Amino acid sequence: MSSDSGAGSGVIHDIGFRHYEGPRLGRGYLIRSLYADSLRGCYGLGRSTKSKIMPFLLLLVMTAPAVIMAVVAGVLGLDELPLDYVSYIFALSSAITIFLAAQAPATVSRDLRFRTMPLYLSRPLTRNDYVLAKYGAMSTALFILIAVPQTALFIGALLAKMEFWPNAKGWAAGLLGAFLLSLVLSGIGLLIASITPRRGFGVAAVITVLLLLTLVSGVLSALSYENDQAALSAYFALLNPVSLVQGVLVWTVNAESTYPEPPPGTLGGLVFTAVMLLVIAGSYALLAARYRKVSAS
Amino acid sequence: MNATVAGLTWHSLVGRRRAVLLFVLPAVLLALALLVRLVSGQSAGAAADLLGSFSLGFLIPLLCLIAGTGAIGPEIDDGSIVYLLAKPLNRYVIAVSKWVVALGVIVIFGVLPTLAAGFIMAGSDSNLATGYAAGALLAGIAYATVFLLLAVLTRNAVVIGLLYALVWEAAIGGYVPGAQALSIQQWALAVTQKMVGDQASGLGIESAVGLGAGVTLLVVVTVAGLAYTGYRLRSIRINGDE
Amino acid sequence: MSEGRTRVGQVMMISVENLSKRYGAVTALDGLTFAIEPGVVGLVGANGAGKSTMIKILLGLLPATTGGARVLGLDVATDGPAIRQRVGYMPEHDCLPADMSATEFVLHMARMSGLPLTAARERTADTLRHVGLYEERYRSMGGYSTGMKQRVKLAQSLVHDPGLLLLDEPTNGLDPAGRDQMLELLRRIGTEFGIPMLVTSHLLGELEQICDHIVVVDGGRLLRSTSTADVTSASRILAIEVDERMDEVGRAMHAAGLLVHPAGRQLEVELVDDSTYDLVLDVVVQLGVGLHRLERRRHRMAEIFRVDPSLDPQSQASASTAGQAAAAALQQQWVTAAQNHRPQESDQPRGGDDEQ
Repeated sequence: MSSDSGAGSGVIHDIGFRHYEGPRLGRGYLIRSLYADSLRGCYGLGRSTKSKIMPFLLLLVMTAPAVIMAVVAGVLGLDELPLDYVSYIFALSSAITIFLAAQAPATVSRDLRFRTMPLYLSRPLTRNDYVLAKYGAMSTALFILIAVPQTALFIGALLAKMEFWPNAKGWAAGLLGAFLLSLVLSGIGLLIASITPRRGFGVAAVITVLLLLTLVSGVLSALSYENDQAALSAYFALLNPVSLVQGVLVWTVNAESTYPEPPPGTLGGLVFTAVMLLVIAGSYALLAARYRKVSAS
Repeated sequence: MNATVAGLTWHSLVGRRRAVLLFVLPAVLLALALLVRLVSGQSAGAAADLLGSFSLGFLIPLLCLIAGTGAIGPEIDDGSIVYLLAKPLNRYVIAVSKWVVALGVIVIFGVLPTLAAGFIMAGSDSNLATGYAAGALLAGIAYATVFLLLAVLTRNAVVIGLLYALVWEAAIGGYVPGAQALSIQQWALAVTQKMVGDQASGLGIESAVGLGAGVTLLVVVTVAGLAYTGYRLRSIRINGDE
Repeated sequence: MSEGRTRVGQVMMISVENLSKRYGAVTALDGLTFAIEPGVVGLVGANGAGKSTMIKILLGLLPATTGGARVLGLDVATDGPAIRQRVGYMPEHDCLPADMSATEFVLHMARMSGLPLTAARERTADTLRHVGLYEERYRSMGGYSTGMKQRVKLAQSLVHDPGLLLLDEPTNGLDPAGRDQMLELLRRIGTEFGIPMLVTSHLLGELEQICDHIVVVDGGRLLRSTSTADVTSASRILAIEVDERMDEVGRAMHAAGLLVHPAGRQLEVELVDDSTYDLVLDVVVQLGVGLHRLERRRHRMAEIFRVDPSLDPQSQASASTAGQAAAAALQQQWVTAAQNHRPQESDQPRGGDDEQ
């Protein structure tokens, strides 16, 4: 029986309403629940089938090359992976960016678009809790996206009988990179997406901003390099969130840089790290500010 | 072409927050062009690099995505397209009116800045500026048509359009030769190559398709796309939100 | 109401004191003061009268400009989170994500109210059954009709067993059948389930069916705060509309011993028993007029608040016709009953306009 306001489904069965005398858990539980629900939403779980296509497709795109590489390396009997763990992240940064662009709006614009915010805000959850949960979920979703192929590479390397310790260290470096990149990108992506309730526009805005930063940073860096301004060229990598994290990794775990110049020396490394932390904290703070202004109606 | 429809579409495209992006992108292009000129002096090579990667490869496709889907997407999304479709307007007229507005936006915020940037960087002796502007225009026309059609066909037009413009054209198109034949960028580049003339190969402007093929495909895609858009508007379904 | 809730009877469900809310030049609420005991309360007012604003202030979602309010004994300004733990809210507007199913959504909302997973699952299933959603609960909500969406909204407000329900226009957008079903559901919630409720509406007629108590606001000001029982315990009314010679018909009916009150194009006759019908029809047939309408109505809220200076109980002496005196007597009945029954209510209209 599935009539809506017609007769039949309006009949209330006389089971009686049971009052709830059980525990009502506190804010920690609420944040965890929202976090879990949002994380699942990033991968389309618990939503319609259509919303699963994009995230899983991207997960496949991220992982397949890793698997293929590992298999090839094994078959050819290579000593080390053709592309190391951290470099893999940056080779596939487009896919990571697309995932962010597609799923950040799904995480935050959705509640704005469908005006679900009043339902959240009329519950014990505070606005800051909401932001924390969403930020955590998006970061975790990105982390999973990057960590899975990293782990596939690691397992593949081990199966191909490569040396354990170098690969373990590389894998750890890769996970560190995954962690930092997730935090940086989530902050920026969620901030941009939360500005508009329209999902399509949110997607386009995130991609446009990230691409713009990539291009500008690349052009400026190349320009200064050609004009013998090596240090300046290195510092222009700060403009692009992806190369920002790459810079930090170059300094901390000796990753390879895809920019003409790596961050110069210790000062460079510190500057990059400081800017990265600033970006994370800043975008979180702006996101919280944005949600303080969100109407409760 | 209906002036009222066009006027309304113009206001909805340019009078909103999305207009910020419309202004920022060409502003950045011009700023970069100025910087290159100041630092490296007049250089056709630098111009070709910047215009190829920033203008044809980023600004034009994204601008067309925003303008093409934005011309009709939000109306379909919130169902207000129903008001337009309830009027006794020819569907093809509606499609063309919106297309013209999207094109206007692309010309103002994409083609003209490309032209200006080209002049700033390479002066007027080589046909670089005009060549790239022409390429931008033709690419813009084709992109606008495709994205407008996408917006009518599916709610996920933006994501699919992004996948096409970025993944297909940039990534796959760069690695798979066959795919390059299906790339609007390459078709437009063929025209640019022709207009720049002899210097083209020296500057690295090389299209994967010949001029004839490029122009033909551009025209075919535009005409067929517009026709199909009008056709689909006749039977558009306004469902619930998903 | 069930036993366990009568303890709450010591505490006012909602009490509001000199509450004002201004948005710049616009005054949404203006010095409202009232207190309600637990039960089913209706908040009535035209669109823009301040009902939604009031609910948001009670939930602690909006700060009041001046004045204060207490919900279940808790101050809205300082105890917001505690209030929000105990209340359920059903917003007026659409608020359901289109890509989730009702089960998923209500489950999520149950957890967001602090219910552990197992309990949340059970209660989601129960509540959805109570509101009348069966197989459709597994479909995405994007394809739901208005009636189904209202049910889901109600379910998410109920699922965590709140101590108070705030329902903003629950019958919005429903067809008459759906409206009746929703009202019946709400009545059950208030009486059988024993959950106190505040229901807003701009339709006076429907609230009288389910509410114990009515608060009327207009332009942000309080008009009335009375008990429905007092009002509806007065007599029933027969509304008659004839095509000509209304005055003659009125006089003839009065001569036949009926209490008649002219109301616009209709004549309202107090319905004593079945013989009233016969008398009315006799009159109509004798005079040979056409009868357009013969309708039985219970008292409408509108009648309490209809302003007619000659009906002012203090100036009965100036009533010129028997009919007006009768109506005045009726109104006096209501006012006295209200005053006797509930000494703490405020009965004065604010600011001089008490026309609804």
